[in-house]
Amino acid sequence: MSQRDTAWGPMEVQRVAASEAAQALQAVGIELKLCVPNLPWVAPEGEAKDLVRRAKEEDAEPVWRGDAYLLLSEPGQVTQALQHCRDELGYSQLYDLTACDPAADETQLKLIYGLRNLKSKARLILQSRVDKAAASVPSVASIYQAADWHEREAGEMYGITFVGHPDPRNILLPDDWVGFPLRKDYEYPDEYNGVSCKE
Amino acid sequence: MSSHPAAEFDHLPGREVELDVATQDCLIHMGPQHPATHGVMRVLLKADGEILAGAQTHLGYLHRCAEKIGENVDWLQYLPYTDRYDYLAAMNNNLGYSLAVESLLGAEVPARAQYLRVICAELNRIASHLFAVGTYGLDLGAFTPLFSALRDREEVLELFEKICGARLTYSYIRPGGVMNDAPEGWLTKVAEFLDRFEKTWHEYWTLMVENKIFIERTANIGVLTEEQALSWGCTGPMLRGSGVDWDLRRDQPYLIYDQLEFDVVKGIGYRGTLGDCFDRNFVRMFEMTESVRILRQCLAQIPDGEIMHEEVGAVIRPAPGESYVSIENPRGELGHYVVSNGTKIAVRVRVRSPSFCNMSVAEHLMPGSMLGDAASIIGSVDIVVGETDR
Repeated sequence: MSQRDTAWGPMEVQRVAASEAAQALQAVGIELKLCVPNLPWVAPEGEAKDLVRRAKEEDAEPVWRGDAYLLLSEPGQVTQALQHCRDELGYSQLYDLTACDPAADETQLKLIYGLRNLKSKARLILQSRVDKAAASVPSVASIYQAADWHEREAGEMYGITFVGHPDPRNILLPDDWVGFPLRKDYEYPDEYNGVSCKE
Repeated sequence: MSSHPAAEFDHLPGREVELDVATQDCLIHMGPQHPATHGVMRVLLKADGEILAGAQTHLGYLHRCAEKIGENVDWLQYLPYTDRYDYLAAMNNNLGYSLAVESLLGAEVPARAQYLRVICAELNRIASHLFAVGTYGLDLGAFTPLFSALRDREEVLELFEKICGARLTYSYIRPGGVMNDAPEGWLTKVAEFLDRFEKTWHEYWTLMVENKIFIERTANIGVLTEEQALSWGCTGPMLRGSGVDWDLRRDQPYLIYDQLEFDVVKGIGYRGTLGDCFDRNFVRMFEMTESVRILRQCLAQIPDGEIMHEEVGAVIRPAPGESYVSIENPRGELGHYVVSNGTKIAVRVRVRSPSFCNMSVAEHLMPGSMLGDAASIIGSVDIVVGETDR
């Protein structure tokens, strides 16, 4: 049984897995940075707020909470990294693949790959960054088939091209939808096929 | 003289039988409004005679932009929207979202609230599996099991109505704890329900699961191998039906699940092949009895005390960060990837819904099976379209 560190699940096992995977991937020539949260998992709200405020005032490294993750420097290496994780490190399941637009004035989108090892019970999060202007990344659907639908969803919502995807149609949106709804600079349409979208 | 089986009719007028008939593939639209799709979803079936040559799933009919809404309302206002992805297991959705928000708040809820959460989540699991098993019978032509299942599910809904006032969309479990404490005598009513339910469980088993027609319609059909299940990201009864020993409640324990004793039910190929439609239903049947076990322990152990974390107020501003928290929903892993920048509105609320991932493999299970088995396969995935489309 995994150790329960917090009420929302084991955290220590994820952190250890992230640092082990970082070393293993760097050893095969994948450039990445290990990002580890620097706020305690459980802390009184006031204490956390103080830490956040102090970091802002002192212009120090920002403090944040959550999962440790590996940030790939080169999005093109994502297929190689995932292949290695699946074949050598035992991460047999891609539980999630998604993207995130941090803010309207940011130039890059985040891509998030969540992997799971059913034997060691560890989760591993890989991330990469793609430019909003030319968001393109190799598809991983040939490594984990679960990526098939997730990439279609991320593609239509964020305007990311997954190069080599077997079936890059829209999945939740209509085929003729204009724009990428989950981008922060998305403009709501006035009408869709003659139907008004205004209140 | 030709030797084909219809040869004896060859002398009849108009009975010249052509043997090498070139058949044409026929496209059949199943849905968007079809009882076996359990919601508005369309499956395009390619039939070569009676055999399925291919299938393609079309989603999006129930897309309600849940993730976009998450970026436009504040953290607590989003809670009622979580009720609406998997509307058969709203308690579990509330729990998944609440835990994700709490992980950014760094707040662990009081012990009594944790027990109440587990009690409600497990009761909802029973209700959801009852509905799944009942409607699966309906998909295959057995009408009676559904009514028995709805009768028992009604009791769970009445319990929920007593504790939070709602029957389907509860918003009972919320960031920081639960909405209110269990009313006087509620826990005794839960215990009484469990006693009754354990008896009626055997009805479902004999009436439906051991029924010869049911076995014929599900055993050896839609076989999902372990490799397929892992590669396609299947979770929940879908994954366990294929014999994989994985349950987030045990393997990635949250709340108080590490203090409870229960078994993880796996498919064993009881009536056919490991990973067939029968096994997935089999897992759901026995998960209900495991939930009863969990509930009995919770009822015996539940402590007195507070039900809300003292620091979680009406407006919350979680610390900056990003966190993925997943729980075991009746249909599989429900994950919330939440990103906060320290303000009262989320940057990103990603919902990794189990039905979405489980459904992605269904179209690959269909080729080669009979046309009538399409309903068996889709029904065994137990999708809720509110969750695939969000």
